[in-house]
Amino acid sequence: MSGSLERRYRRVLGLLPGWYRKQWEEDMVAAFLDSWLTGDPEADAYITKAAGPSPAEVASVTALAVRLYLGGAGAPGRHFAWGQAVRNSVLAVMLVRAVGGLDAFVGAVRAHNFGTWLPVLEKAQATKAHVVQAADSSPAVAGHLVNTPAVLPGGIWPTIFYTDAVGCAWIVVFLALVLGSYRAARVIAVLAITPALVQLLSAQLTGNPAPQLVHWAFWILFDVVPVVAMIAFHRDAPPAEGRCWLLAVPASYVLVAVPLLALLETGNSAWLPDFSGLCCILVTLACLAHTPRAWSRQAPGSGVWSLTLTLLAAVAGLYRVITLSEYLHNPHRIAVSLAELLIMLAAAALVAPDAVRTETNTPAPPRYPRAMAA
Amino acid sequence: MASQPMTGQSFFVLTALADGPRHGYGIVGEVTELSQGRVRLKIGSLYGVLERLSAEGLIEPDREEAHDGRLRRYYRLTQDGRRALAEEAELRASTARVVRARLSVTGTEATG
Repeated sequence: MSGSLERRYRRVLGLLPGWYRKQWEEDMVAAFLDSWLTGDPEADAYITKAAGPSPAEVASVTALAVRLYLGGAGAPGRHFAWGQAVRNSVLAVMLVRAVGGLDAFVGAVRAHNFGTWLPVLEKAQATKAHVVQAADSSPAVAGHLVNTPAVLPGGIWPTIFYTDAVGCAWIVVFLALVLGSYRAARVIAVLAITPALVQLLSAQLTGNPAPQLVHWAFWILFDVVPVVAMIAFHRDAPPAEGRCWLLAVPASYVLVAVPLLALLETGNSAWLPDFSGLCCILVTLACLAHTPRAWSRQAPGSGVWSLTLTLLAAVAGLYRVITLSEYLHNPHRIAVSLAELLIMLAAAALVAPDAVRTETNTPAPPRYPRAMAA
Repeated sequence: MASQPMTGQSFFVLTALADGPRHGYGIVGEVTELSQGRVRLKIGSLYGVLERLSAEGLIEPDREEAHDGRLRRYYRLTQDGRRALAEEAELRASTARVVRARLSVTGTEATG
């Protein structure tokens, strides 16, 4: 009687992990059929043929699947490891965006005649020159941690607003994630990636100047993907190690942004990596720093970080490959970019075996204190 | 690590089981009625909640019954579940009392 309706729903339930289906599938199917079938054979025959899981029903199963695959407390080790790795990766990308925001904010303050928000013309011109110089040196922007559009169609003021407002938004998103305000982080992050989409679409439609592949790639890899991946920050996600992540902001600014700025200000911009190169260098250094822990096989949680670094290396590597298209007429830059890519892949290979092992040996913390007390 | 606050969905599901065991779709109907139509659980959402509550030890399977060729599994509250629900109900009631008291004060000022 319920054959095809049941089949359609079971197909949707195929999204769920096997261990979960084993325990709950029959019950879910029974409840689903109860919600449709009336007990009247004629009506039920028609419903069975015509009805199927609604989009809302499919969405609820999908959301459940995501929560289970990117598991939190109480999840099987493999799913917990993936959940933690995705959450750490999102935090790492948000950290880079937040430091980029801090960099932009400091740049704006320096250009805004300290203490007053009304800029002096010369300072604004200096900012404009700085932005243009940065944009000219590479489409992926040297000198700034995170690339922003060179000068927006409206001129220098929209550019400064964009850099300040969106940069600050990333700082807020990072803080919200670290402090556990996941919903606020998602909302602000969606708002933060929208101006870039508008900018890209407007440039694409007017063709003045038409955005290149790298601009879309940046938006997708460093805006959209992390925002979508924020779905891993669900109710069961263990809280982030707040103090470490918060300290990482000033530490990263001092260790990464300041040296880059110093290179730029002292006229050594030839030494500046583009954003893609910077990502490769940072992931390489992180992999090398993590390698002793990954090889010790005893450090708790090392596998999750190995998986995190492998994911970050994949994103940085993909972006490095895409940005190679920008340097087709510059053999030196191609050679440097390929060297960055290969060194990063070699460093990632050092932690990859630990990342593979982590799928089987990462215990998840218990779900709730209440469960422990029970 | 502080204990997590109970979600609205969990609260309604536990309340639906407070007066006796229910099967999956029975819980959906009861939650809709209890919430006066404000909470309409999809099956995927319901089993997400049931899995959590079960892992927390707040509910447990009661029995299985055949119905139209399908096996319905019934769930019931555990002692911990009953206690957690009572605590949550008390918390919500005390919050409601505070809200009413504040509203009556501002209402008096507004009308006075």
